[in-house]
Amino acid sequence: MRRLFSVALGILTAIGGFVDIGDIVANSETGARFGMSLAWVVVVGVIGICLFAEMAGRVATVSGRAVFDLVRERLGARMALVNLVASFFITFLTLAAEIGGVALAIELATSVNYLLWVPIVAFLVWLVVWRVKFDVMENAFGLLGLALVVAAVALWRLGPDWGGLLHGATHPVVPQGEGHPTWWFFGIALLGAAMTPYEVFFFSSGAVEEGWSRGDLITNRLNVYIGFPLGGLLSLALMAGATLFLEPRGIEPGHLSQVALPTLLVLGKLGLAVLLVGFFAATFGAALETGLSCGYSIAQYFGFQWGKFVRPADAPRFHLVVLLSILAGAGLVLTTVDPITVTEYSIVLSAAALPLTYFPILVVANDPDYMGDKVNSRFTNALGSIYLLLLLVVAVATIPLMILTKAGS
Amino acid sequence: MRLSDLFGADVVDEAGRSAGHVHDVRLVQDGPLVGTFGASLRVDGLLVGRRSIGARLGYGRGQMHGPLLVKLAVGWLLHDGRYVDWGRVRTVEEDRILISGSVEDLPVPGPSS
Amino acid sequence: MSGRVLEAGLHLLDRQLIDSNGRLAGKVDDLELEVPSGGGPPVLTAILAGPGALSRRIGGRLGAWLEAVANRLRGGDDRRPARVSFGVVKGIGSAVDLSVPRVDLETDRLEAWTRDHLIGHLPGAGHAPE
Repeated sequence: MRRLFSVALGILTAIGGFVDIGDIVANSETGARFGMSLAWVVVVGVIGICLFAEMAGRVATVSGRAVFDLVRERLGARMALVNLVASFFITFLTLAAEIGGVALAIELATSVNYLLWVPIVAFLVWLVVWRVKFDVMENAFGLLGLALVVAAVALWRLGPDWGGLLHGATHPVVPQGEGHPTWWFFGIALLGAAMTPYEVFFFSSGAVEEGWSRGDLITNRLNVYIGFPLGGLLSLALMAGATLFLEPRGIEPGHLSQVALPTLLVLGKLGLAVLLVGFFAATFGAALETGLSCGYSIAQYFGFQWGKFVRPADAPRFHLVVLLSILAGAGLVLTTVDPITVTEYSIVLSAAALPLTYFPILVVANDPDYMGDKVNSRFTNALGSIYLLLLLVVAVATIPLMILTKAGS
Repeated sequence: MRLSDLFGADVVDEAGRSAGHVHDVRLVQDGPLVGTFGASLRVDGLLVGRRSIGARLGYGRGQMHGPLLVKLAVGWLLHDGRYVDWGRVRTVEEDRILISGSVEDLPVPGPSS
Repeated sequence: MSGRVLEAGLHLLDRQLIDSNGRLAGKVDDLELEVPSGGGPPVLTAILAGPGALSRRIGGRLGAWLEAVANRLRGGDDRRPARVSFGVVKGIGSAVDLSVPRVDLETDRLEAWTRDHLIGHLPGAGHAPE
């Protein structure tokens, strides 16, 4: 019974923790401009993240080592350093976006300008990383993040034309008046939002933090294969909401309030309040994860002690990196650059860097020295290889498309 | 001397012909005893050839299970490796290692483990 | 010929150093070789770790920059990289296990400095999270 409870907790946490500011922005903006025609990208992205998160979790569980640790062993110091610089920069950018996202969510609730909240948010994020136990942190924000389900509830209560939505999703056609390159660019952004690199660093490091062992492999798989797809459904609910409310009105969500509009209109102030709790939990949770990931990647490359499972005094450089990253992230937001813009750049650059993150995982998951008998199955390898090719194509196409479409404007 | 001084060095013979660059160094644990470690590691020879990312990734050992695409892609990179026994090394310079004899008669490396 | 056979790049370089308490103590960034007094092939005498050692492996512009950062951090005292003698290495597996705690190692310099001057001053640094 206790086992069932912990499995359920893991799945619920995975659902609630799936969505972050990148998904919120990407899905709403896409729904507003292209309806459901890019919903298939979310499906592709969810399958991809399930595949590689399971791999990364399995690697960490069986070998006891987190991903970045092994990246350097496998790629060598020089290539791994290039990998580190790129991954760290993008994770840092995502951290700044999440901090901005939390501040925006609070602004929506309090009508007090988001810039004033940024220092408080940064301090709170650091405080939680410093003092709160890893699993308590994950469970609390994961479960709170489930409040986002209200967006799906709003959709249900609306009683929309499900057939129409489904038709739009299964017939990926570029809508009238929009260019093909822009459509593909938004698709890339959606993929980057669903398959963010930090997820993998965090997931594998988290497996070590929580001391997973072979007995937890099944739990790992259940969390990933059930939790992430359901989380993906939440993303699609946001996309559908934008399709139904924003697209007909020609509104392009440049502000979080517009994303909340569908829920407000259907479920009123109560629904909005629940949604805001969800926004807060999703972005705050993601800020914690990206902050920690900044520390994980650097510490694991250089080999110094990392993790919340030791006293801060035993991992001083790790905590210093996390602290400086949070300060710098807050600093970036305080330059008054639009947090939504930072988010957009973070997800697009994530998409461009995906092969860097996923290739080493695929290699390591095949190494019997680390994995013993738990190496990848042929099916996993086949699917993983297909995804790697896809991600390479995406990576190559991203920057040219970004320039061509002027970043989708 | 540091091990990194050997890596990447161009291995040339007396006639100036190059056998390629050092991409790894083979060690044997049969040197003088040291501390808790036991016998220390002695340099046995140099693995030379085109810089082999495939070997670096671990595909040279033949145990890696895949993925098939990667195995095929790095497969052709593994050929043309040679082994230089340390006994044939005459001088170690900044980016060059001079060996005795000819690069033509360097053997193919045997399996390591 | 008896004795285990290893390849430096494949089995030793870039491996994690783990101290006697299970704590992470850096990576094998480079290796020190010495030619024995009686002649013969060089023998590995120590593991080199830390930015001073890594910069030479990376090479090029990036390595030079890393070296400059490392020298700044070390505050001008001796410029040689941190050394872990093979005498304190217990075994080489998927990681390199050491027989001493990391505070006894030269590689702990930076870590100790960060603890004593920065992180250690923050409240709660000595306590496990709750």
